[in-house]
Amino acid sequence: MRKKYDDKLAVPMSSMIDVVFLLLIYFIITQKEEISEAHLAINLPTPGSAKASESKPQLLEVEVYDGQYSLRGTSVSLATLETTLNSFRDPDLTVIIKVSISAKAQDLVNVLDLCQGAGLTKLNVVTLR
Amino acid sequence: MRNRGGDDLETPITSMIDIVFLLIIFFVVTAAVDKDMVDESIILAEAKKSPAVETNDPRMVTINVNQRGQINIALQPVTLNQLEQMLLALKIQAGDSLPLLIRCDGNTKFDYIDRVMQRAARVGLYRVRIAAMVEG
Repeated sequence: MRKKYDDKLAVPMSSMIDVVFLLLIYFIITQKEEISEAHLAINLPTPGSAKASESKPQLLEVEVYDGQYSLRGTSVSLATLETTLNSFRDPDLTVIIKVSISAKAQDLVNVLDLCQGAGLTKLNVVTLR
Repeated sequence: MRNRGGDDLETPITSMIDIVFLLIIFFVVTAAVDKDMVDESIILAEAKKSPAVETNDPRMVTINVNQRGQINIALQPVTLNQLEQMLLALKIQAGDSLPLLIRCDGNTKFDYIDRVMQRAARVGLYRVRIAAMVEG
């Protein structure tokens, strides 16, 4: 008699567990791989930037073409560019990145990434035509 | 007799479970809408040394530029002129420090990105960010 009483009180769980597992599977399947993004900050040429500043800032010019890079007029590989940028390690250094219109976004990001790695934050992007 | 009394005391949880599942479905549906604002067709350029961003500025304006140079903001296609109008309106609201993010495909020609940058500069927004994918 007592046993029967206990049985009646039990909540029917099996169907709920079924639904919970279905939900769990749904979430696992729809879960998107979280792509982590980096945001590389750059400065655009301002109309007033042509004026000569009193304290002459240190400048470095990097030119970016479609898959090619050049530093002070000589063509360099990405590895050479990296060692050169790393040799500066001066946060005040202004890097002027001249990008050809035929270059790809990946080429620009490669250079911006190297600058970020070298601790250079003053990055100006101008367009080569 | 005792048995029948026990039956009456049982808590009716069926309706509560119904409501809980309805709530779950509501949250699932609304969360899915939120995620859809990212343009999936754009495969960002890869960055190896840059740190991933932890928090996004809520004011950030994201401009998507795909491989063919088509521009969209929150999946709404816009022309360059419309983009300039929008940026001008947003700049009046938020000021010069309005953060701009260009999400461009790794294979997008710089020509197309340059056109977007020119419009941003014309409006007076000189600081922009370029999104890149961080591996791992």
